[in-house]
Amino acid sequence: MPYQGHPGDTLASALLANGVRFVGRSFKYHRPRGIFAAGSEEPNALVQLARGARTEPNVRATTTELYDGLIAASQNRWPSLAFDVGAASGMLSRLLPAGFYYKTFMWPAMSTAWLKYERVIRAAAGMGRAPGEPDPDRYEHQYAHCDLLVVGGGAAGLAAARAAADSGLRIIVCDEGACVGGTLVGDDVSIDGLLGSEWIDATVRILSANPDVVLLPRTTAFGSYDGNMLALIERVTDHLAAPPPYVPRQRLWKVRARRVVFATGAHERGIAYQDNDLPGTMLAGAARTYVQRYAVRPGSRAVVFTNNDSAYAAALALNAAGVALAAIVDARGQGEITGTLARRARDAGLPIVAQAVICCGHGRKRVSAVDIAPIAGGGRRRVDCDLVCVSGGWNPALHLFSQARGALRYDDTLTAFVPRSPLSHVVAAGAANGRFGLAEALADGHAAGLGATGPNLSAAAPPHAEMEVGAAPLALWSVPAPRRGGKRFVDLQDDVTAEDIALAAREGYTSVEHLKRYTTLGMGPDQGKTSNMLGLALLAQAADRSIVQVGTTTFRPPYTPVTLGAFPGDERGAHVEPTRYSAMHDWHAEQGASFVNAGLWKRPYSYPRVGETPEQAANREAKNVRANVGMVDVSTLGKIELQGRDVAELLNRVYINRWDTLPVGRCRYGVMLREDGIVLDDGTTSRLDANHYLMTTTTVNAVKVMQHLERLLQVDWPELEVYIASVTEQWTAAALAGPRARQVLQAVVDIDVSNEDFPFLAFGECQVRTAQGAIPARLFRMSYSGELAYEIHVPADLGRAMWEALIAAGEDFGLMPYGTEAMSTLRIEKGHVVVGAEADGRTTADDLGMGKLVSTAKWCIGKPLMNRPALTAVDRWQLVGLTALDGAVMPRAAKIVADLDRALPNPMLGHVTSWCWSPNLESWIALALLAGGRTRHGEILWAVSPLADAKVRVRVGPPCFIDPEGERLRG
Amino acid sequence: MAEHPHAAGWKQPGKYGATGSGIVLAEATIANAWNVQGNVTRPEFIARARELFGVSLPVAPNTVAMTDALSALWIGPRSWLLVAGGESPLVNFGAKRDALNAVGGALFDLSASRVAWTVSGPHVATVLAKCPLDFHVRGFAPGTCAQSLFGHVNALWVRPQEDDAFQMLVARSFACDVWYALMESGAQYGVEVTLPAPYR
Repeated sequence: MPYQGHPGDTLASALLANGVRFVGRSFKYHRPRGIFAAGSEEPNALVQLARGARTEPNVRATTTELYDGLIAASQNRWPSLAFDVGAASGMLSRLLPAGFYYKTFMWPAMSTAWLKYERVIRAAAGMGRAPGEPDPDRYEHQYAHCDLLVVGGGAAGLAAARAAADSGLRIIVCDEGACVGGTLVGDDVSIDGLLGSEWIDATVRILSANPDVVLLPRTTAFGSYDGNMLALIERVTDHLAAPPPYVPRQRLWKVRARRVVFATGAHERGIAYQDNDLPGTMLAGAARTYVQRYAVRPGSRAVVFTNNDSAYAAALALNAAGVALAAIVDARGQGEITGTLARRARDAGLPIVAQAVICCGHGRKRVSAVDIAPIAGGGRRRVDCDLVCVSGGWNPALHLFSQARGALRYDDTLTAFVPRSPLSHVVAAGAANGRFGLAEALADGHAAGLGATGPNLSAAAPPHAEMEVGAAPLALWSVPAPRRGGKRFVDLQDDVTAEDIALAAREGYTSVEHLKRYTTLGMGPDQGKTSNMLGLALLAQAADRSIVQVGTTTFRPPYTPVTLGAFPGDERGAHVEPTRYSAMHDWHAEQGASFVNAGLWKRPYSYPRVGETPEQAANREAKNVRANVGMVDVSTLGKIELQGRDVAELLNRVYINRWDTLPVGRCRYGVMLREDGIVLDDGTTSRLDANHYLMTTTTVNAVKVMQHLERLLQVDWPELEVYIASVTEQWTAAALAGPRARQVLQAVVDIDVSNEDFPFLAFGECQVRTAQGAIPARLFRMSYSGELAYEIHVPADLGRAMWEALIAAGEDFGLMPYGTEAMSTLRIEKGHVVVGAEADGRTTADDLGMGKLVSTAKWCIGKPLMNRPALTAVDRWQLVGLTALDGAVMPRAAKIVADLDRALPNPMLGHVTSWCWSPNLESWIALALLAGGRTRHGEILWAVSPLADAKVRVRVGPPCFIDPEGERLRG
Repeated sequence: MAEHPHAAGWKQPGKYGATGSGIVLAEATIANAWNVQGNVTRPEFIARARELFGVSLPVAPNTVAMTDALSALWIGPRSWLLVAGGESPLVNFGAKRDALNAVGGALFDLSASRVAWTVSGPHVATVLAKCPLDFHVRGFAPGTCAQSLFGHVNALWVRPQEDDAFQMLVARSFACDVWYALMESGAQYGVEVTLPAPYR
């Protein structure tokens, strides 16, 4: 159904202009609802907004900027808004009071019954539809710093920014509206001799010309956090039919402000009378905004119902726009209706009915009349109307002020909560500070702005507006319902009535926080902006306590809903975490490698050829390493250099074995323990020079070990002279392994790598011949695969040249690159333990067969506690090797038992830690931890996986399947 | 790095994103980057460093000392990164390491460990605002440096002079990802990538 509007309209103002009054159905009772407010406090007009592939539920029509082609749908109705099946729940409403789901739908008393009811209730509940497609938009995060953040660009906010702007402070002003000005926009007031809109324009011009001022319209400050950090959400392109490319849809600002001025305005509240929710019933201030800002008549014949002066401005505006005023119903006596605005209304001949109230509304899909009666009781008379404008008073919007730890106090005269006192770093100004008149709001904002500049350097006067004389409001929260069972709505969004609040009080829920959860008052997307004050005042009455005693509920961010995509920002999909690439990555990708994530790194899993699966490739690669030679990129391993007089002492303390005996030009395998004696990490450390060492760690523990050493050196042993630096990024590394590795290597390096000149565990510096010339390298003879092997380290920017040189040299020797899967197969065949599998945070060095590595000659971290009785018991689970019999496949994550048929509980003797198909042995093998494993070699046991329903016979043996004497290593 | 549209990245000059040069990026090639560590309270260490490198190591946190050949960046209470884009005293590593060891200091060669870019242009502070540091000249004075996180990646920034140009250094393995993030954030302002030039 296409409608027309103007640029500058919101969806709500356009709907009203097109005569649409009925825009949705309420949450619980599915009652017809209309537009109630003009801003972000709107409870009723929630729509489902569609834009291309996007759909968004629960969007407030009052804050949705209109653009050509906008598509919106009403919510919470089926099959249509006009004829809705769910409205039948209205007739059952006596059975659906507050908290009904705690008391009903409980029979029959079995859990399955509730599950059936819950599904039906769930389908009937909720508003709107969540999108089913991935969010196509981009969202961005941005930090910002300023000396002054002004939240709210209305009269007070602009005055504050203007006052501070000349002082050279860095200022940010944000406002949730499309343009700044707040309630001034369209208002017929005069400031400093200018029309309101002219004053706004002039102020914006001055602020925009100032390079230290940032103006952020369409930006809501939604939360205030520790240390004056505020979160803002900027709607960058939501109002555009065709967003420009590259620009994010929304921007989440994290602003660190030295000081904050909350010029956040105030929210009007209604009055609870019977059927006060009929479409056509709205807040008086909203009616005024629709007329003055949007040039829309919300109706043709209006009744205004108020307890305070502000509604008279709405009456005057409506009257000036040609809306008939049937009555202005003021609960106060004639003697109290003395303010400037009221006098102007009287002078204009508008009919004022004093000391009276509306006691009920009439109509079905829209209001058609109201009943007016004297406040003291007595005869009702019906007045026809199609628009009711209600004002029960104003509540300063102090959500953010409270989150910043500002305290509130209840002001009896204003009948509202106001700030108790400013804090050193935040202050409220204008209507947010209880200064509702324009002149006082301007002065208050001006003072707040000057306050941020320190001692008053300028004697500039605040912007001047005519002071209005106002009379005090009368505290009026509700009007008794004439009809038994009549509904007087307090929270329109969650369908909470005055009766529900009275019921809660009767049932003992007299704390305002309990009231909230029990009735759901204030729990909807509007967070009770127009209803919380009303609710807590009615609770005070029902529980016979004062409003101060009842207090407010905690204000929680976000102030208004924030779309979920804004929170991760750009960190989604592949960018949830950063990705690390080795210097040879491009080469691997060009060869068609299949990649796997190793921590943050991308590593090749294997290099499948045409017609090969990645697993088949891995098996081919693993076989080739032991037959010929293979090369794997091991750049990801952690590398830490150490220098200083006391390095050997440090190594002695962190590793279980001895290091003061390591000569220059040699490397050694080491194991580190935690303080509780459990294995932490393993690696090799080489002595590069007299006082210069290189330690390697596992990829996954690189950062952890670095932090461990930093902590020891800074906190525990500051007397040791040791300096460390992470060099993981400095060196790129390849491991060359296999019986022909020496031949490949000798073809490219300039030193003699014969077994005599470069024995097992040697280290040396050399040059590698590449297509780009000779490059410096560090060469280590160590082996992870159990074959004759070397590691070649070159500076990372030369990695690819080194790799290509070795690939080229290897062509004559059957060299194949291999990935992490083949590497894993090779190390399982050799029984090398891995952090996470065998060293799983529960195993000791002795469990893993490394007990003999522990030096008896010196202390090390973990030494005292590793000898606790439980850690040295004979039946501890010890590392063994398993070979699957009968050609069976080793089950995944299998447990080890002796007797398959034993009744439960069947004692678990151990579990498998790593397993693979061994192409070199042609059977499935595994490393496992088995109780008393070292004494059970030769036994046949069962490896079972109840989850996979698999059971395989296995033979227990030593945890090394290939070359247990290490001849290939040392050749 | 086929998955990254900008993977060719800093080697390829060109213009990307919206028209205009909201930010200008160029690789600042590092010839040598050595990490000097030692105890500032030992005068012989400070003196030896001056002798070896021709620069007085800046003692105040997050400050930079520049000579014609290199910049000395304070990166920790006992740690400095000396960065040179061309010929400099950062030669003869072994001898200089031994000379520093003799006065209770240490020297580590980290020349290949980082990639550096010069980031400038009218919107530079906005694009860098994925990092919580304050990049305004009042928050980040000329002649200072700071380490922080860009998204989730550690980076080191230097503002050598009064103008709005920063050197940004990140670990080599993360560089591709960070470059991608710079391009994503910068595209809306127009990104201009210019030819690599030596680090200065």
